[in-house]
This record gives sequence, structure tokens and C-alpha cells, in this order.
Amino acid sequence: CTKGFLDTEPITELTDENFYRTTDDAYKALVGCYDGLQIVWAGGVSLPVATEILSDNCFGGTGNSDGFGYQMLDEFDRLRSPADQNLFVDNWIAYYKAIYRCNMLLGKLDGIEWGNKADLRPVYEAETRFIRAYLYFDMIRLWGHVPLLTEPSNENIPQADPNEVYTVIANDLKFAIENLPATSYASQPTATYGRVTKWAAESLMGRVFLYYTGYYKQTDLAGVVDRSAALNYLEDVINNGGFSLVENFAHLWPASLENYVGEDNKETVFAIKYTFTSDYDGNTDGNHWMVMFGMREQWSFPYGNGWGGATVNPKLWNAYNRNDSRRTASIIAIAEEGINFTNQSKQREYTGYYNKKYSPLVDENGNSIAVNKGGVNFQIGQFQDYVSIRYADVLLMAAELGSPNAQTYFDAVRRRAFGTNFSAQPVSQSAIMNERKLEFALEGIRYWDLLRQGVDVAASTIAESTTVLNGGQEVRKTISAGKINETNGLQQIPNNQITLSNGVLVQNAGW
Amino acid sequence: QQAIRGKVVSTEDRLPIPGVSVKIKGTAQGISTDENGNFSINANVGQSLIFSYIGMQEKEVKLTSAAPINVALEPTTGNLDEVVVVGYGVQQKKLITGASVQVKGDDIQKQSTTNALQALQGQTPGVQISSTSGQPGESMRVIIRGVGTIANASPLYVVDGVLTNDISYLNPNDIASMDVLKDAASAAIYGSQAANGVILVTTKTGKSDQPAQISVDTYTGLQKLARKIDMLNAKQYAIIMNEGAINAGKVPYFTNEEITNLGEGTMWMDEMFKDNALTQNYSLSAQGGSTKSTYSTSFAYTSQEGIVGGKSLSNYERFNYRINSEHNLYNDIIRLGEHLTFTYLNSNGIGVGNQYNNSLRGAFNTSPLVPMYDEEGNFYDNTNSSWNTGEANPYATMYYGNQNDRNSQRLFGDVYLIVEPMKGLRFRTSLGLDYNVNESRSFTPIYRLSAYSFNDFSRINQNMGKNKSLLWDNLLSYTFDIKDDHHFEAMVGSSAFQYDGSSIWGANINAVFNDLEHAWLSNATNANDAAQMTLRGAPDDADKRMSYFGRLNYNYKGTYLLNATFRADGSSRFARGNRWGYFPSISAGWVISNEAFAESTKNWLDFFKLRASWGQVGNQRIDAFQFMSPVTFLNTNYIFGNQEGVLTPGAYPSRLSNVNLKWETSQQTNIGFDARLLQNRLDIAFDWYDKITKDWLIQVPVLATAGADGPFINGGDVKNTGVELALNYHDHIGEFNYSVGLNGTYNKNKVGSIPTADGIIHGANNLLFANSGEFYRAQNGFPIGYFWGYKTNGIFQTEDEVNSYRNANGTLIQPSAQPGDVRYVDVNGDGQIGETDKTMIGNPNPDFTYGFSITANYKGFDLAIQASGVAGNQLVQSYRNHTDPYSNYTTAILDRWHGPGSSNTTPRITEDARNWTNFSDLYIHDGDFLRVSTITLGYDFGKIIKKNYLRKVRLFASVLNAFTFTKYDGMDPEIGYAEGFASGVDLGYYPRPRTFMIGTNITF
Repeated sequence: CTKGFLDTEPITELTDENFYRTTDDAYKALVGCYDGLQIVWAGGVSLPVATEILSDNCFGGTGNSDGFGYQMLDEFDRLRSPADQNLFVDNWIAYYKAIYRCNMLLGKLDGIEWGNKADLRPVYEAETRFIRAYLYFDMIRLWGHVPLLTEPSNENIPQADPNEVYTVIANDLKFAIENLPATSYASQPTATYGRVTKWAAESLMGRVFLYYTGYYKQTDLAGVVDRSAALNYLEDVINNGGFSLVENFAHLWPASLENYVGEDNKETVFAIKYTFTSDYDGNTDGNHWMVMFGMREQWSFPYGNGWGGATVNPKLWNAYNRNDSRRTASIIAIAEEGINFTNQSKQREYTGYYNKKYSPLVDENGNSIAVNKGGVNFQIGQFQDYVSIRYADVLLMAAELGSPNAQTYFDAVRRRAFGTNFSAQPVSQSAIMNERKLEFALEGIRYWDLLRQGVDVAASTIAESTTVLNGGQEVRKTISAGKINETNGLQQIPNNQITLSNGVLVQNAGW
Repeated sequence: QQAIRGKVVSTEDRLPIPGVSVKIKGTAQGISTDENGNFSINANVGQSLIFSYIGMQEKEVKLTSAAPINVALEPTTGNLDEVVVVGYGVQQKKLITGASVQVKGDDIQKQSTTNALQALQGQTPGVQISSTSGQPGESMRVIIRGVGTIANASPLYVVDGVLTNDISYLNPNDIASMDVLKDAASAAIYGSQAANGVILVTTKTGKSDQPAQISVDTYTGLQKLARKIDMLNAKQYAIIMNEGAINAGKVPYFTNEEITNLGEGTMWMDEMFKDNALTQNYSLSAQGGSTKSTYSTSFAYTSQEGIVGGKSLSNYERFNYRINSEHNLYNDIIRLGEHLTFTYLNSNGIGVGNQYNNSLRGAFNTSPLVPMYDEEGNFYDNTNSSWNTGEANPYATMYYGNQNDRNSQRLFGDVYLIVEPMKGLRFRTSLGLDYNVNESRSFTPIYRLSAYSFNDFSRINQNMGKNKSLLWDNLLSYTFDIKDDHHFEAMVGSSAFQYDGSSIWGANINAVFNDLEHAWLSNATNANDAAQMTLRGAPDDADKRMSYFGRLNYNYKGTYLLNATFRADGSSRFARGNRWGYFPSISAGWVISNEAFAESTKNWLDFFKLRASWGQVGNQRIDAFQFMSPVTFLNTNYIFGNQEGVLTPGAYPSRLSNVNLKWETSQQTNIGFDARLLQNRLDIAFDWYDKITKDWLIQVPVLATAGADGPFINGGDVKNTGVELALNYHDHIGEFNYSVGLNGTYNKNKVGSIPTADGIIHGANNLLFANSGEFYRAQNGFPIGYFWGYKTNGIFQTEDEVNSYRNANGTLIQPSAQPGDVRYVDVNGDGQIGETDKTMIGNPNPDFTYGFSITANYKGFDLAIQASGVAGNQLVQSYRNHTDPYSNYTTAILDRWHGPGSSNTTPRITEDARNWTNFSDLYIHDGDFLRVSTITLGYDFGKIIKKNYLRKVRLFASVLNAFTFTKYDGMDPEIGYAEGFASGVDLGYYPRPRTFMIGTNITF
């Protein structure tokens, strides 16, 4: 039809009608999916923070006059902060936005003119499906019952049976494993660090297998992957992935300053990457959640100031053998390091311990390193990647799944931690679980490791009654096992999404 | 009989009046005055002459001698024969069937305001006008007959026929009249743009055969803060902080000795406000005309300094050039003319936005312990404070953060051609232009004021943009009578509108020079750090409209009146199928006083007209392309590889499409009357209206599973019902003339049909202070933007009172409360305090808006008083950032609870602000106020000087914002600041200054 006076078109935007045509469009859309994954925790409560609070590693913390949302998480008690009915809503929305991007791209792959680049198609599809699986795995663990969409839809969709979700996750990962090239870490071009690899998919499959079979007490992963297949994937990563452990545990983390081995090191199997370019004009590339871990409004070189969330439970500090190098590499200890922290009056649930692995950093003058790099400020400018799967995890998972080399893998992890003080321990399920607690403390893994041993195990491990300092004053802190059991370890579905769905979405028990 | 000579002038401007009828009383003998107002008539001494002229009061003069006489005629106020401006035309006031109101230019200029809209305040019923900020040059919030939408509720402005949404460029002195079209029938001729009402502005034009008249008008004034807020001084602050610590079970922060030595500290309010900020205006205008051409032209300079921060931070400067002229090209058949105004604006300003963007807010929160300067006279760096390293000198923050300079140029007007080939038939075509160019720069120096307030790189921003709107209108009208008594006026027309524009903006760091003057991008040296560089440019979304409209006016003997209009609008903002909106209206009037049966009332009722109207108007104010699903590239990146800051661009579809999007519609019924009583001394206008705005264009939340932002949809409505009354009485006692005007409006606002599951459009979080919760809503059955929170019922005075506050089961309702905490009302009676107890605790929409004016003159003296007010609305006051326990308080905190019986309204001090973190009626204040906005006293020396080339030499003195009567304890109860659809929120509002000024009006 002819163009009339009233027909106008956007100049600086495309529409879904004229996009998804070329391989370049496909690549941009794929980057859009990575971007979707990058921003799931830009607002709301991030899983690395939330799961540490949910676990026995951390308390809620935050400012002394803040709302009690983090205490509600910590104590699994809705009445602790009745106003926080939508604590996770930003995340819920962001996860589905990211899934929408993936589903859109997957649905448009057939329409793209691949030409002589047809070999790109399975790779792009594999990466997209990995991201979708990663997103759903976070969601199903956190909320337990979520609507499942494998293509875009604005229908009011009820929550799916968890098995269906795991079937999609398993099949997505399987596709990724089968279609991504077996390029070892050493031969991967530096510029592609951060892209999903075959090894990332295999490792995530191992993690999904262990969680699903543990939490749901099943023998295989939704009929897609059995135990030996899961182990084979992990052994493939160990044998062909080209990864190895960084020699000194402390050097894995930026707080080791000049000794830090850097991001995308030989132990990083998969990371959600961040950088300092976040701003208030809509750029969301930064690590927006790490500021929560910083000490409440006070810096002490090299540790930066933050909001004092997820204060570390002294039990965790005490769980380490004093010869274990992971203790001081993982935890900022105010008294032990002689830090002059004076801001107790602004800190809730002060324990004397903070997260070191993901602490904001400052220079000697207290200037945020993020800002020195060019970040807008210390809140949104943090740029440390979230290392989701480390090679140490692959080793311990393989050991747990009964690898013939279980003892070797187990020893490798412990030998690094203890160095010259290493003495061997026989590998066993309980020894592995204990080791995982120490190895992955404050990395957002502990809570899932507890839950997969059963809700009751998680509940009794997390429950405690102790004292903490609120605004410098001693108060009783109680986390009861009953509350955890009541919720099955799942979190609250954002209430406004339930309202919006007109009750099609159903709230989890205990909330 | 002998020849009596004389001259007739107007009392108003001392100008001669040509064409005045001069009759000898009791005879048929009479003549008219000539071009210069002179007359000569043969009459006898002892007879009386009667002078009459349309728009002037009749005057009778008895001849006591044959000497020449000079007669001055008073203009009648609100004469029924006068014409008022309606959409695409004019109409006699007595034949108007809709609800519209006219304010004369004189009544606007008298207010001596920088902004014409501010002068309109209180002058018209049904029009609520409030400043969005007291900062010079900031816009006004104009609401006609209640808020009708959660989107932009401001009216359409039509200046000399050209549509616009901003008239701040106008020099009030250039305005001949402003006509407010309130009901749908009056506004429907503007169809798609008129849902929020229409304000027609007519600028001054010359008159045919008018002798040249030159005027110089000036004023100069000094402005200052009208009412200050008192914050705690250092001593009081320390005592209150200690009390907070003690209440938290800690040791006090300050010893008694320390407190004794503290003194007053820095009083930040005193640092922020500047006294004697200058405001001035000079205008030079000329107008006149021959039989062939008329002209009116002016030049004006206006400037106003801000009272916050003073001239260097907050200042407004405007240059206006205007030329309106019309030329008779051919025998009164073809006429050509133009209206053109060029405006040059220069301004800089401080932040007057939300809590993060409000320069004044820091002064409310920073403790008096922070010094203003260090020993070297630099702004104090509080980074190493022993008290609170996080707080920064708010004056310095404002100073560093608002180094900016903006200027814009606007050319606005039209060129038109009128052809009248035969009597009654008229064709008019016009091409309107609204051309804008703007430029702005800002500079942020390197500084350090506190642990959080610092800037490590000097930064330069530079922006430029331009845009233009073209409007091409064609009108054809035909006026004819059938058998004299049936009067018809038919009009059809078309209008085509097109907008386009573009802008470019950039930012970079590391300035060579350390000041605003040199803040140009070429002076920024950073070449390597791409993340700190911005370089962008984009076209504005194009906007186009096509409209066809028609109007039919009919009246029978000026007694039975009928008016019908219809407009069809097509807009590029909607998809093809829904592009066109149709807006009909009909109205009727009955002049009862013309009827024979009304003869008996003639002795007291001069005129009475009953009116009724119904119509629909529309709104299409959404961004372009909302009906499409865009693929966004902006801000969509991921970082691959191990180089920080190196981004790979991506894309994703960001919003669902809705091709069914259509016009928002406002439908209104109006019934009213106009009456004139007591020998034309008293005018009454009354209106009742019922306005429903439906099919709002709103972006409602969609289910997250949809995965993209929700599309705009049509849904939700709001009903405004109200009555308006305007009274005007004028009379004289000898040479003392006076008039009193009074107007008032009652309006009720109610929302319905919100298309979400819970029937609510939720307000935003994080508005009142950091991490604050939702506090306003649009909800079915409630007024738009009502305040939603807990009701409180006093303060727990004792432990016993806490323990006796139990529910039916005997459990404590507020188990964690302590004496001094607030008692919340368990509204739903479920025995606990929770979300469901939150209810409507305030309404930002006033029930009543009103105004009055008094004018008087005696010989050369004149006096004018203008006042306006609102009643029945509530304000939310939130100055303090409660997440910081060390934020300062206003002195209102001195009345806090600190022991049984000490207060039942202000809770105790707690460091966690537990009584304030939940939004409750503690934040709510009544917003009623009456403001005497202008008092002016003038004297015309023209009567003394008596030079024939000087018509008027008036000197005047005025006080603007003279008195405000209110119980509200903030600096200014008139808070037009709105965040989304949350209005009436005082976050540290830039108050309107009080101005003392003197001025002159000289006419040659």
C-alpha cells in the first residue's frame, strides 16, 4: 500500500518485523540473551546474596534502619517483614525477560538467512538453550513452581510440574553438549571468554543432576540423563576441558590484589561476566549486588564500603581448620585482621565477619577501585564476574558421582587448600559435603548443597539461636527449623504477580 | 442654539474614542465623534448630552456653559456585546452556549508576573494553577476541571490559532486576552488535543484607524523567601541525636560539656537562600493602524534571579520580540497578516526534581555540625569527620552539581490570508510555525565533600537540539440570516500538523579549564577512556496529524441558541486501523430574559441565559510507535573476553505491541447559566459539569511471563464532577469606582475501571526517601493519586497502653511497640497491623479552589488585590531521609514524645526510624491555603502633567505573594510538583518568593 501523510517509522529502532534476518541479527540477538542473563540480579535480591543468607553461612545484615526483608529471608518468616511480599519481583520479571529473549531467538532461527555460515546455527542455538536452562535452573530451585514457557506467550500460564521444567533444562543442556565444539580452555580465543562452552554445559548438567536427584529424591534426571551419563560429562570436562586448579586459593579472588590471577582464569568453567560500564541511563553491565556484601558505610583498605548485607556467621569462620588457607581468603575478619570498624551503629546483625570473595575494593585513599576504573559509583560500578562454576566444583561433583578417581579429585582440592599442611582424608559423601562448604563458602552454592540433602537436613543445619549486634546492641537472633520445613526451602512467589495473574499463580507453602 | 465642541476619551488609556454617539437628551438630534474623538453639536445651555459607545458606560453631561467640554468614558466590565475568542473564531459573549471564561490582558499584566499562567491564578473558576517550583522559569501545573488522567493532564494552548503545549515563552504584556474553554462543547473543535481543556491566547493587534500609541512598561523588584523552615541548630541536634542513642540503649554521642560548646553550627537554610534576588522587566511596545494596515509590535526584556543559590545558580532571562500586522490587499476582500514572536531564553537552574535531584533537600538532611568552609575558605571536605563522614555540605553540592547554562530560541506564529468575496463568506488559510532551538552545557569540577559526594574527573556536557512544528489550517465560513430572525453561521475546516526535530549530545572528561565558561567539548582532553565519553545524536520521533472539522451555529432572535461541532482527527501515533478519532459536541442556550414573560423581572434582572452542552474530546499523548514492538539496541551489551569495559552490542525485542491502541476520550456534560443583575452591576456565571475521561492510554503491568514490557492499552477512567460559580460586582460612589470578583469551584474526583486484576495502578517506590514504599495509587472508587497508608491514633504513652492494645483474641496488636511509638489503627479488624490496614489517608486533589479580586480607582489612584486558594486537599511532607539516623530534623521534632504526656502526635526519636518507615498519616498535612498573590497601588501622573503627547504616566508599587494564610508548616503550601500522578508531595520544595516591586507604565 502507498505511504500516506500519517505513516511514520522509527529511525533509531528496528521492530520485530524487520529484525531476525541476517546472521549478524542472530548474533546481536544472542548477545541480547547474554545481556538478559547479566541483568537478572541488577535489581531485587541477587541469588549470590540471597542464597548465602538462606544458608547457614550468613545472616541478613544490612543497615540498622533498613526494612526487614533480608531478615525475612534469613528466618524464612513472612511475619518478619509483612510489607515485603514482592521481595523477588524484580528478579522474577528479569528472569522471564531473559527467557523471552531466548525463546524469541530460538523461534526465529529458521527465518534467518544463514547462507554459507550454516555451522553457526547449532552453536547459537546451543548457547541460547544453555542460557535458558541456566535461568530456569535458578528459578526452579528458588521458587519450586514456575510457569514454563519454551516459546513467547502473553497468556496467563499456570505453574508447571517441576519435572517438566527439569526435562526442558536437561534437554537444553544435552543439546548444548552435543552441538558445542570441544575446544579446550587453552585453545579458546581470549576474546571469546564468557561464551558458553561444551564444558560449561557438561558441568551445569552435573550440577542439575545432583540437585534434582537430591532435592526430589530421584535416581535420574527427568529420564534424560542417568547417573553414569552425568559422571561421564564431568569426566569429559576433567579429561578434555583443559582446566586446572589455580595454585593458591587466595589468588582466585580480587582481594589478593597484585596476586589475583584475574578473571577467566584456568579454573573458571562458567561465569556471568560484569564490567564497570553501568550507569543511570540504562546501561546495566555491572555487578549491582556486590555492594550488598561490603562493610556498612565504611572502608578499610583494601575492602570497600557497602551496605553490610549478609553478614558472615561466626560459625563459618570457626568451621575452618586454622591451617586451611581458605579461611582468610574467604572471610574478612574485623578483629583478627585488626580493622578499625566503627560503624556498628549503622550495621544490623553485626558479627565481625564479612564476605571477602565478593567484597568491593578500594585503594589506599578509600577511592573505589570500580570508580577508579571508570565506574559511575561504588554501587553499580562493581565489575567482578560471578564465577558460577569453578573447576574445583567439577572435581568434587565427579567425586560425589562415584568417579573411580574420586580420592584423587578430592585430594587435589584439599591439597591446594592446605598446601604443606595437607594430610589426606578418605573420600566419602559427608566428607565431600563438608569440603564443599569450605571450598565454596560465600559463592552462592552452599544453600543448594544443603537443600539437595533434603529439606529436613537443611532446616536442622541452618536453624540456630545466637546473639548479634543491631546498631551496636546485642540482640537475640533465632532461625527456627520449623519455618524452613514449612516452606520446603522455597521462596515466596512475588505476591503482585499472583494478583496480576488473578490467582492462576499459586503461592508456595509457608508464605 | 450654539455649537458645543468637545472631545471624548477613554478613562482607561486617555485615548480619544472615534465614533462615540453624542445625543441631546430628549431629542432625536445626534452626531458621532470624529477620528480624533472630537465632536461639535448645536445645543442649548441647560440641555444634557448623552455619550454612548459599545463597551463603554453611557454618560450624561449637563451643559452649564457653551465652553468646550472634555468627556471621559469608563469601559464597562464584561459587556455582553463584547466578543470572546472561541476555537477557530470569535463569538459574541451573549450567544455563547459552552462554558468558557475570558481574562483580559490587563488583568494579566496587572499581576507583574514573569509567567503569564501564573497571572491567571485565581482569576477563573475551574482552573487550578500552581507552580511546579518557585525557581524562575519553571513551568506551571494547570488543571482544568480536575485531574483527568494519570498521564500529562495539562491543557492545550492555542496562541493566535497555533497549537502548542508550552506558552512560557510569552511576554505577559503581549497578551490581549486568554480564553479558557472548559467544557467539551467549547473544546471539541480542537478534538484530539482537547481532553484536558484548551486555553486560547490572543496577542495584541492594532486597530484600524488607530493613532500610533507607544508604551513603556517597566518594573523592578526584589525577592526574598516568604517563610523559612527552621532546622535544628547544632546544640538542639546533638541533644536529639543523644536522645536517639539513649532510646536505642546506647551511650549518648555527645557529653553535656560538648553540647554546651557547640553553639548554633551551620544553619543550612540560611546558606541556601539569598535575599534581595532581583526581578525586572522592561517592555517597549507600539501599535496603531491606518485604513490599509494595522500593526502591533513590542520588545521586552525580563529577568528573574532565583532565591535559592542566587543569580549564579538559578536565573532566568528572556528577550521577546513580537510583530503582529495585517494588511488590506484589496478592497477589504483580501487581507494578509501575521503574528510572530521571537523569544530568546537564557537560564540556569538548580535541581528541583525528585529526592535525588533536589538541591534544596540536602539542606534539610545535613547536620549543622558540618562547617560551610575550611580554614582556607574552600568548601569543607567532610570525609574525615569524626561525626558522620557521609554527609556533605549541601550548598557546595548544589554549587558543584549545577554549573550549567541553557539557552533556547523560539520563533512562534503564523502568516495568514483572509478572503471575503461577499458579505458573510470568509475563507482563511494560515501557516503556523513553532521553531525551537536549544543549547545547553554543564560542567562538573573535581571535588570532594564527603565519603559519598565527590567527583574524580572534571566533566563537560554539551547538548544541542532543534525542532519545528508546522500547522496548516484552512477555514471556510459562511454567515447568513433567513428572514432576519434566523441567524446561521457555518464553518468547515481542515488542519494538518507535522513535527520533526533532532538533537545531538556529548560528554567527556578531563577539562583543560576549570570553569563553566570553558565547558566545551573541545576543551575535554580524554581520548582513551571510551567509557567516559558520550557522543550521541538522534532524530525526534516524527509526529503527524490530519484533521477535518465543522461547526454550525444557529440562533433565533438571539434567544434560542444552538451550536454543533464535529471533528475528525487522524494521528500517526496509532496503527492504521485505529488512527482516526471522531469528536462530536452539541450545545444549546436559551436567553430567558428576552422572553415576553420575563418583562416583569426587567427592573432587577438584565440578562439571563440558560446553557447546556455535551461533547467528546480526545487525547493522544503517548510516545510514537507504541503500537509496534521495537527491537532495542540501546544499553544491550555483554562483555566477552577479559578486557574490562569492552562491550559487545546486542539487541532484543523490548515491548509487546498493541495495534488496537486508540484515542483516549473525555466526555463532558455541562449545564449552567449566565446572569446580569441590578442594572448591570452584578454578573453571575454558574456551571455544573460531569466529565468522564475514559480509555486512558496507560502502560499497565503485564504478567512477567510475557517477558517484555507491557504495551500501552486503553483502560481506566476518572470522573470529575463539580460546580463553578463566578460573581462580579462593580459600582461607583462618586468618582470612586470599585469592583469585587469572587469565584469558586467544587470538584470531586473518582477513578473507575482500572483494567488490572486488583483495580489499582500502583504508585512508584523510593519517592519520599531512599527505599521508601508505595504511598499513592489510582484505584477504582478513589480519587486519582490518593495517599495510601496507615491511619494512626496517637502515641503510646505508657507500657500499659501498649499492653492494652489487644485484639478480640487478647493478643497484642503491636507487640514490638514501646511507649513513644505510634499507635496504628487496625482498620480491617484482623487483630494485626499489616498491608491490608493501609487505606486512604489523604487526597491531593482539592475539593475547593477559589479566588477573589478587588479593584478600585479614585481620580488618578488605582488599587488591585488578587487572591487565590484551595481547600480540602492534603500534602505529603517528607524532608528527612529516614534511612540515615543522623539526618537533621526540623524544629517540629522538639515537640516529640519524650515521656508520658509529652506528645500525642510526634513519636519518640528512634535511630531506626521505625515510626516513619511505614507510610502513615504522620506524613499527611492539610494543604488548605489562601494566598493574597498581588497587591498593587498605582497613581497616574498623566492627570497632573497634562502634556498632550503623554497619555499616561503611571507609577505603581506591588507586593507579589504578599500573604499566605495556611496551617501548613512548610515553606510554601502551593506545591504543583508532581511525580508521575503523585501530586502534592513536598520533598523540599523550592518556595515561591515574596516580591516587592515598583514599576511604571508610560503611554505616549
